[in-house]
Amino acid sequence: MSILTWARTHSPWLIHFNAGACNACDIEVVAILTPRFDVERFGALLKGSPRHADVMVVSGSVSRKIRDRLKRIYEQMPDPKFVVAVGSCAISGGVFQDCYNVMEGVDKIIPVDAYIPGCPPKPEAILDGVVKLLMSAGY
Amino acid sequence: MERDGGKTLSEREFIIPIGPQHPALKEPESFLFTVDGEVVVDVEPRIGYNHRGIEKAMESRNYIQNLYITERVCGICSNAHQTAYTGAVEEVGSIEIPERAKYIRVFMQELERIHSHLLWLGVAAHEIGFDTMFYYVWRDREVVMDLLEEVSGNRCNYAMATVGGVRRDLPRDKYPKWHKMLDKLAERTNYYIKVASTEKTILERAVGVGYLGKEDMIRLSGSGPNARSSGVPCDIRKLTPYLIYDEIPFKHIYVDNGDVLGQVLVRTLEVIEAVKICKWVLDKIPEGEIAVKFNPMQRLPEGEAVYLVEAQRGELIHYTISDGRNMPYRHKIRAPTLGNIPSLVERLKGGYIADIPITIAGIDPCFSCTDRMAFYDEGKDKTWTWTDVELSKYRKEWYSR
Amino acid sequence: MKKVSIEEHIKIVEDLVKEFGEENIYNTKVPRAYRAFAHVKREKLRDIVRYLKEEHGFVHVTTISGVDMGENYEVVYHLRSEGFSFSLKVPVPKDDPKVPSIVDIINGAVLYEREVNDLLGIFPEGHPDPRRLILAYDWPEGVHPLRKEWDIQTIREKVDGKRWGKDVE
Repeated sequence: MSILTWARTHSPWLIHFNAGACNACDIEVVAILTPRFDVERFGALLKGSPRHADVMVVSGSVSRKIRDRLKRIYEQMPDPKFVVAVGSCAISGGVFQDCYNVMEGVDKIIPVDAYIPGCPPKPEAILDGVVKLLMSAGY
Repeated sequence: MERDGGKTLSEREFIIPIGPQHPALKEPESFLFTVDGEVVVDVEPRIGYNHRGIEKAMESRNYIQNLYITERVCGICSNAHQTAYTGAVEEVGSIEIPERAKYIRVFMQELERIHSHLLWLGVAAHEIGFDTMFYYVWRDREVVMDLLEEVSGNRCNYAMATVGGVRRDLPRDKYPKWHKMLDKLAERTNYYIKVASTEKTILERAVGVGYLGKEDMIRLSGSGPNARSSGVPCDIRKLTPYLIYDEIPFKHIYVDNGDVLGQVLVRTLEVIEAVKICKWVLDKIPEGEIAVKFNPMQRLPEGEAVYLVEAQRGELIHYTISDGRNMPYRHKIRAPTLGNIPSLVERLKGGYIADIPITIAGIDPCFSCTDRMAFYDEGKDKTWTWTDVELSKYRKEWYSR
Repeated sequence: MKKVSIEEHIKIVEDLVKEFGEENIYNTKVPRAYRAFAHVKREKLRDIVRYLKEEHGFVHVTTISGVDMGENYEVVYHLRSEGFSFSLKVPVPKDDPKVPSIVDIINGAVLYEREVNDLLGIFPEGHPDPRRLILAYDWPEGVHPLRKEWDIQTIREKVDGKRWGKDVE
C-alpha cells in the first residue's frame, strides 16, 4: 500500500448531502458521530465544505430542484472521491418512485461507490458501509 | 443570480446566499440575506429543494399504501404525520378505533416528541458552538431511540399507526423497564434545563437573539414551540383535543421570552411533560383490541375531513377529500415548518450574521451555513467568492473606517 | 380546559350566513365540534375573511389548499380561531384562475398563496411578491402538477422531453 492510500483510508473526511430526503437518514448519519457509535475512531470527520471532503454521503431521492446542486457539489470535491448512497430513496427513489419531482436515485446523476439499504439504515449499517468502502479502497 | 423581487440595494448592502447545501445537517433550504455590515436587513426564503410531489402521488395510491408515503413526508415527525393521516381518513369513513389504540398512538407521539426535542437541543447547542452539550444530549437521546426501537422495531419511521388502529401492541411485561428509561430521560432533561438557564455559554448566545413579540407572532400565523416561546398559547393538543388528549393531565407550556432561550425552555419543559404523559399512558392503558379491520380495497364514503395534530414543530394539518373510491381524491398536507417561515424571516431581520444559524435552528428546521459565501455586485453583474485572507483584510478595512 | 360544545360553532356559522346572505355563503356544514366547512363567493372572500378576523378572532391561517374539482377549481382557506378550524371553499372557474389575495388581512398567508399559484396555477391578485416558490427554476411555464390533466408521465414528457420510469422501460 502506498503511503498516499494509507493516509487517505485512515482519515476519510465526509460531507453529508441531503438531496431531498425525509430527514430520517440524515439524523442517523449524524447519530454515527455521537458517542455511542463514534465514527471518528476510524479517522472519519464530518466536514462542512465539499472542498475538504473525500467521501460524500448522500441521502434522499434527488428532487428536481436539487439535482444541479448535487452535481455541482460533486464537482467541487477533490479527487479521489467516493459517493455513498444512504437509504432506499438514494438507491432507487424508494417509496417516492413515480413522484413527478423525483429523479429516482443518486446514481442517475453521479457515480456511486457504495449503497446502504434501509429506510432508514441503522447507524451500525451506515458504519459498516463506510468501513466496507474503506476496505475496498485498500484499508 | 435572480434579484430579490426587483429591489435595489444601497451601496452598503450585500446579498449573502446561504444554502441549500450546508455543513450541519437536514433539509436543503436556501435563504438570501441582504446585509448591511453585520446586520441582516432583509431575508428571502427559497424553499422547494425537498419538494417530491407527495400530494400528487397520494392521489394514485390506496389508503393503505398512502400510510407509508405519509410516514416518509418527514422522518422525524413520521408518527405525527401518520396520526394526522389516519385520523383524517377515519373521520371521513366514520371508523371508530379501539380505546387501546388511541393510548398507543399517544404513547408513540409523545416518545417521538421527546426524541425530536432532544435532537433539537443537541443541534442548537452545536449551532452556538457548544459541542460538549451536543454530544451529551445525543448520548442521552439514545435512551429514547432504544425505547422506540423496542416498541416498534425501527429507530425512525415506526409504522405503528394504521387505518383503524395500530399495528403492534405494547407488551405489559416491559412496562417497568420503560418506566425506568423514562425516569432517566426526565432526570437528564431536568439537568439540561438547569444548564440552559444558568450556563453563561448558552445565555450569552440565546438571550435576546432572534426576538419576536406576541403580536407579530399571531399576525404571522406561527405555531408550535416557535410561537409558544413568544407567549402564544397555541398547543393543538389543548385547543382541539384529538385522540385522548382531553383526558390527560398535562401543562400547556408557553413562555414570554420570545428569543432563542424561550425556545430552549419551551422544548425542554415539553420533554418533561411528554415523559409524564408517557408514564400516565403506561399506567392507565386499558385492555382490549388494538385495531379494527380495514382492507386495502375498502372504499370510503364521499366526504372530507380536516385533522389537526400538534407535531413536534407545530400545527400539522391533513385535509382529505374522498370521492367514494379506495384512494383519496385529494390529500393536502401542510407541515409546520412552512407555517413558521414567515415568523422566522421576521426573527432574522435586525440580527447579526453570527446569529443566523441559531435563529434558523431555533424554529427547528435546523440549519447552519456560514462557510460558503458568494457575493453579488449589482453594478458589475458578477459573483465571486472570498478566501479567508481576503475576508480578514476586508474586516480590518471595515473596522478601521 | 374549557369545554366547547358544537352549538357555539354552529352559532358562529349561522351568524356569518346572516351577515352575508345565503347567496354568498352556502353549503355550510359543521360535521363535529371544532370543524366547519362553507362555500364562499370569490367576490366576497376578502370581506368574509376580514369579518371573521375582526368579529370571531380568526387570526390564524393554517394553510390554503387548492383542489381541482373537475369543472372548476376550489381554493380552500383553513382559518383557525383558538381550536375552531373553519374551511372556506372558494370556487374558481377554470378559464379565469385567479383569487383575491388575503395577505394584507392575514399576513401568515404569504407563502401559502404562492404555493397554490405554483402547484395549481391560481394567481393571487394583489399579492406583494407572487414569484415561484416551490418548483424548480427551469420548470416550464404552464405545467401545474396538481391539476388533474397532468399525470406523472405527461409531466415527465413535458419537463424532461421523454417518458421514463418503471412503467415505461
